[in-house]
Amino acid sequence: MTHFLIRRIFWAIFLFFVATIITYLIFWVIPANPAALAAGKSATPADIARVSHFLHLDEPIWKQYLRFVWNLLGHGSLGRSYVNRQTIDSSIAKDAPVTASLVFGGAVCWLSLSIPVGILSALRPRSIMDRISMIFVLIGISAHPVWIGLILSYVVGYRLGLTPIAGYCNFFTGTAGAQCEGPVQWAYHLILPWITFMILFAALYVRLIRANVMETMSEDYVRTARAKGASERRVMIQHVLRNSMLPVVTILGMDLGLALGGAIFTESIFNLPGLGHELINAYNTADLPMITGIVVFATVAVIVFNFIVDVTYGFLDPRIRPS
Amino acid sequence: MRRKHTLSLFMLVMGVALLVAATTVGAASSATHKVNTTGVNKGGTLKVNENSADFDFVDPQLAYRTDDWDMLFSTAMQLVSFPEKSGPAGSQLYPQAATAFPTVSADGKTYTFHIRPGLKFSDGSPVTAASFQRSWERILSPKMGSPLGVNLDLQNVVVGADAFLNGKASTISGISAKGLTLTFHLTKPNATFVSILSMQWFTAVKSNMPYSSTGLNVYPAAGPYYIASRDPGRSTVLKRNPYYNGNRPANPDQIVFTPNVDPDQSLLQVKAGQSDFDLGGIPPTAASNLATTYGINKGRFFVGPTSCVLYMAMNNARPPFDNVALRKAVNWAIDRPAQVRLLGAYAGKRTDQILVPGIPGYKPFNVYAIKGADVTKAKAVGGSAIASAPTLNVVHTTSSYSTQRAQVAEYNLKQVGFKINDVPTPATNYYQVIQTKGTTYNFVTNGGWCADYFDPFDYLNVLFDGSKIQAANNNNYSYFDNASFNSSLNAASALSGAARASAYAKLDQELMVKYAPVVPYLISTNRYFVSARVKNWIYSSYFGAPYLNALAVG
Repeated sequence: MTHFLIRRIFWAIFLFFVATIITYLIFWVIPANPAALAAGKSATPADIARVSHFLHLDEPIWKQYLRFVWNLLGHGSLGRSYVNRQTIDSSIAKDAPVTASLVFGGAVCWLSLSIPVGILSALRPRSIMDRISMIFVLIGISAHPVWIGLILSYVVGYRLGLTPIAGYCNFFTGTAGAQCEGPVQWAYHLILPWITFMILFAALYVRLIRANVMETMSEDYVRTARAKGASERRVMIQHVLRNSMLPVVTILGMDLGLALGGAIFTESIFNLPGLGHELINAYNTADLPMITGIVVFATVAVIVFNFIVDVTYGFLDPRIRPS
Repeated sequence: MRRKHTLSLFMLVMGVALLVAATTVGAASSATHKVNTTGVNKGGTLKVNENSADFDFVDPQLAYRTDDWDMLFSTAMQLVSFPEKSGPAGSQLYPQAATAFPTVSADGKTYTFHIRPGLKFSDGSPVTAASFQRSWERILSPKMGSPLGVNLDLQNVVVGADAFLNGKASTISGISAKGLTLTFHLTKPNATFVSILSMQWFTAVKSNMPYSSTGLNVYPAAGPYYIASRDPGRSTVLKRNPYYNGNRPANPDQIVFTPNVDPDQSLLQVKAGQSDFDLGGIPPTAASNLATTYGINKGRFFVGPTSCVLYMAMNNARPPFDNVALRKAVNWAIDRPAQVRLLGAYAGKRTDQILVPGIPGYKPFNVYAIKGADVTKAKAVGGSAIASAPTLNVVHTTSSYSTQRAQVAEYNLKQVGFKINDVPTPATNYYQVIQTKGTTYNFVTNGGWCADYFDPFDYLNVLFDGSKIQAANNNNYSYFDNASFNSSLNAASALSGAARASAYAKLDQELMVKYAPVVPYLISTNRYFVSARVKNWIYSSYFGAPYLNALAVG
């Protein structure tokens, strides 16, 4: 197990460097000049050169990259935004909890819906319940989150007035200038984003769970368990669900990691100041340090969640546990 | 079957819980919502969305964007500024912190201001001449890394500013502050100097306000409001300055800005009363319905002029638009009404000149096809040169609106016989492409200019003085360079008063009649929709937005 963990950690470090180098190279070949953007509309070449030096953009790319790695590993700093000169660390530290609120809250919602619906559909294939759930799956997969979000906020937020149309409140109180905060307001403002987020993923997960449960139920060991006289409850929990949930754990880990990198559409529609929203703003202003910072964060999130999935998988399924 | 029932019960409980929570919290929120009142009330919170983006900086010596300045206006105390009045009266400078306009020496190089006594910052400390001296030091200090002052060449305007910028002096020798008397020594006479001082960069700041390359978010201000808190990307809160004793309005208790809101969602929030208005305006497609429902400038839906002129630029430095006949032909060919329609209802006023109403020297005239493309005339003016012209590289950004604008323009150009090569360019790279001398573009569809200060110099000299063309970052991206016109511009810039206005009016007309380096097509408006509780809408055409400190909420 120790060998397995060490190998996974080395892979994680390798992936981190590959991801950050690729990010740097992509922005090096894009011909936008952040110094010219930052210098303003009347800047002379001398002014641009001054800004370029101020932002270290006059250095070769490898030196900029090494400076980035050194600042990250040596000082725990992701640098400063070209646009508003705020530290990237502080921006990500503020944005990540918002995205996490959306992603984890959304995950609870979609699992709460998709696990029972998926199992029931598998237990009674082609029943009314199964057909209704398939219609839901089709809608959820086909409808874009932007459309779902806009419709929900128009109908539920504007027409019915049951929820805020957009906006976010901090879970914890005490933020200077905050207009609303606390767990109740936090949840109240996240109801529609969670539902929007849930619809797409729940549709995918219902389909996945249904297929896995049906496949597992036809396995020999399930038939054997029944033949041995095990109760239906025991068969379902001990043999069917435990085995059919393995792929779900894998997909869930990957989805959570990816979504933490920025749930762009949902955050944009509901004005949630998370990583996805920040990423769009950074892209529009060629704010390379901010984009790199978010990519690094997303990379780490994906690596960490994959790592957790690998370890969890090992515990759940003794067959693949490394010896 | 039992499991089915359990699931149904579970989902029902979840749904009911969500709805109860929503209704309960919704009721709690609406309980604090005040009813509409008439007249101008003091108090309450004005809730402002920003669909464009967050302020990049709120530090006055780093802030530059229009919405930055509109917000800072409420916190600013300047030597000279604009009054909170609608229409032309709102673009007339008045001495704000100064007792009067400056006394100017006979050689035009020394300006002396006297500061009104009794002015105070939001922390109770007094405003003195040193407060204005500090704003100059902060904008030019190498410790700030602010590009703004040098962009306007300020280091060459005031004596000693260049040495200060380059770190060779600890103060700007040409600015002296003694008590309430502030003196500027200029390197040469400058007719725009007082106008320049109206920019938000030159607001009073505490004489010990620190240099900060990242910009300060919260600091004492001497205007009607001060920035009480700021969380970049989340919110900015202005509160009334308890020590402000001037006549400027300060109606809401606080003004709260929420940035980065989706434009459509923002409009819904205003309709629902969850926000009061959006500083970035409304989605263009909503203008027509709002006008029908609420009328224009009758309480909810407002349309106001800006200082912005939109134009398409031709590259005068390379064929085929080094030929003035072809430039004029294009001015006849472009369908201005079609371009305006792309921006939705009430988007602005068609134009074929550069100066805009409110700018000294603005005198309306029409030379080209302002009511629609005149293909016949365009072909006649361009003659055989159109057929022999090389393929035009038409550059535009990649947003949906820019693409549509380019498509319409390209259709017009093809109608008269030009061959087109469409060059969509990402916005982040667009200005680098068109502003670099020697660029291979022929025609750009995204061009425009808004006033930094209300003077024709800021349009005609900045955009069309060919002697200022440099290697990169050219505002003159039509690369128009005519020695005679350049010297006329320089001569006009040395004039003042009526003679100055008259000279610039003549140059504005001469530019388009004789040279036609660009295709002006729109003096844009801004369109706003406000919640039912917003009153006292006073619009500034300088900011293209309302005076925030004057707005009142019920």
